[in-house]
Amino acid sequence: MKIFKSIKWRLQIWYGLILVVVLAGFGITAYQLERGRMVGHTDDELHRRFGILASAIRPPPRGPEGNGQSFYRPPPGQFPDDGPPREDLRPPFEFHLPPEAAGLFGTNDPNNYYFIVEERGGEELARSDNVPESEVKFQHRFNANSLVSSLDNVPAPRASLNFKDNRGIFHRLPSGETIYVGCSVMPELRELKLIKLKFSGVGGIILFFGLAGGWWFVSRALRPIENISAAAAKISAGDLSQRINVAEAESELGQLAAVLNSTFARLETAFAQQQQFTADAAHELRTPVSVMLTQTQTALNRERDSAGYKQTVEACQRAAQRMRKLIESLLALARFDAGQEVLNRRRFDFSRTIADSVELARPLADERGVKLLVETGTLEITGDAGRLAQVVTNLLVNAIQYNQPGGEVRVKLESNNRLAVLTVADTGQGIAAENLPRVFGRFFRADQSRTGAGNAGLGLAISKAIVEAHGGTIEAASELDAGTTFTVRLPAG
Amino acid sequence: MRILVVEDEPDLLASLAQALREEGYAVDTADNGDDGLFNAEGTDYDAIVLDVMLPGMDGWEILKRLRKTKKTPVLMLTARDQTRDRVKGLDTGADDYVVKPFDLEEIFARLRALIRRSANQTTNVIAIGDVRIDTAARQVFFKDKIAELTAREYALVEFLALHRGEVVTRTQLYEHLFDENESSLSNLLDVHVSNVRKKLGAEFIVTRRGHGYCIE
Repeated sequence: MKIFKSIKWRLQIWYGLILVVVLAGFGITAYQLERGRMVGHTDDELHRRFGILASAIRPPPRGPEGNGQSFYRPPPGQFPDDGPPREDLRPPFEFHLPPEAAGLFGTNDPNNYYFIVEERGGEELARSDNVPESEVKFQHRFNANSLVSSLDNVPAPRASLNFKDNRGIFHRLPSGETIYVGCSVMPELRELKLIKLKFSGVGGIILFFGLAGGWWFVSRALRPIENISAAAAKISAGDLSQRINVAEAESELGQLAAVLNSTFARLETAFAQQQQFTADAAHELRTPVSVMLTQTQTALNRERDSAGYKQTVEACQRAAQRMRKLIESLLALARFDAGQEVLNRRRFDFSRTIADSVELARPLADERGVKLLVETGTLEITGDAGRLAQVVTNLLVNAIQYNQPGGEVRVKLESNNRLAVLTVADTGQGIAAENLPRVFGRFFRADQSRTGAGNAGLGLAISKAIVEAHGGTIEAASELDAGTTFTVRLPAG
Repeated sequence: MRILVVEDEPDLLASLAQALREEGYAVDTADNGDDGLFNAEGTDYDAIVLDVMLPGMDGWEILKRLRKTKKTPVLMLTARDQTRDRVKGLDTGADDYVVKPFDLEEIFARLRALIRRSANQTTNVIAIGDVRIDTAARQVFFKDKIAELTAREYALVEFLALHRGEVVTRTQLYEHLFDENESSLSNLLDVHVSNVRKKLGAEFIVTRRGHGYCIE
């Protein structure tokens, strides 16, 4: 079920359950306490009345006296005149309810207490005028409970009945009389019912507001998650510019959103770079392919002499070389990016490598009228000599190509604080400050010129990858119309 | 028809120029933006093939400046094929747009279409009396038979036919039929005109003395 998978619903269900248990616990406890209080009160009243009734039973008087209300009905022929009083022949006791107690029983009593007093023989001595029908069968109940105790040591009179409709206590006095006091508990029951309703009502209202509040709170707490998931969904659908709206930056979810946002930003940048890279790579390949297509199609349009074909083949070869160089550069970059480029590390004299590169670049420098000034001392480092030579050549060729006739290129190698520091400084036109951070980017060219065919703008990017794979750094500083200086720092250890 | 090709990749420029010349066009070339704009402003070309990425002034800039003075049809060549580049090209005033790498046939066809459209011609076939000119096949029919014209003769006929009813001056003809490297021997044009008259009838091209030539 979807509902049980939703955090919101699960929280709500747990919350609701706990609320119900707490409310029910409180409600039931309070109800029981109230019920106990009522039962206790009723029992107290019953006991009080029991005491009064017990004291109202007394031996028969000598004469017809007794000003109280008498419920005594003398059975016929039961008045032995002499002889020791025999228990079985004892004249029946009389029952005189004191007048002040009369208001406690019968129809006069607002609480409608009633009583039945029986002789030991089972004859009824007295009863109040309001004994309900259901209590007439009291006798049978009494027989089932042969409870005898002395008045002085009255045990708690047994509560004979439950709290269903009537409650009563009965007790047999030592003299054999049995007293039963009872009352209807219907008013209490009604009151308890009302209390039950009240508790349920109040509990229901609390539960409702609790759940509603909980729902609001949970929704509010989970809204950032919904924002996050909506933004993430849009991003996964391809819209990388989406960001999560971080309203509460302080909360845990706000922090999560901030982390995700920065991840998304990096993803977008990486993705844009990747797209740019692919577009640039494709662009760089398009030109040589165009050359080959146009050259071959032109050549095939009609018969040519061998010189014409040779020209076409040479142009195609140049284009193919250019593509090969580009592909090699792209592959090298891809390997460096993936960390798959294996460096052939060994110890070598870096100054020799630099001297070799300078000799390679000298014809180009002479052609451009650029002076090469080299200042190196023997300095051994560990690294891939071939790759580092590529870096030096790259920097040199750049410094010569972007120089002006009569300019100079200074190459310097020095050891500084366990670092080998190589600087290549030219006296060219310099790089504008806004372009400086991009010089190591892929396919960057100081101008849009492609006159140096085959110079795709990957040289510095590859140099950077090589230097960084060696654990070194490369940076550029430039001043317009004064020149540019590239500095390579490699661990000399 | 005279065309300017502005392209900085030397091998591409050379082969494009050669192929266009072999198609019968007079072709001027420029390998950078500044020369390209100078040529484009100085001569009435029938069309310009313009690369976007150029040293110096780039293709967009050339186009923007050229449009201030001339309506020459421009075919942009570019290695960028994203929609926004195409839109930018067309919005800047380019008449057509070809993405590298391209096929020569496509360049030819697009140039023909550009030249045809700039002459307010909607179809490939222009019929004038007994003469029918198929500009797509670059062939001329006289009385339903193929007339064997040289490339230069064809170019002359096509140019006059596209400007039918107008008097075309000799200078105009020189500008559109010969590129900057050809010495403009003044009688070369007369030779072509007389050859065309031999092949397509003496009345086909009318001479307006002191003005130029005309097809009526």
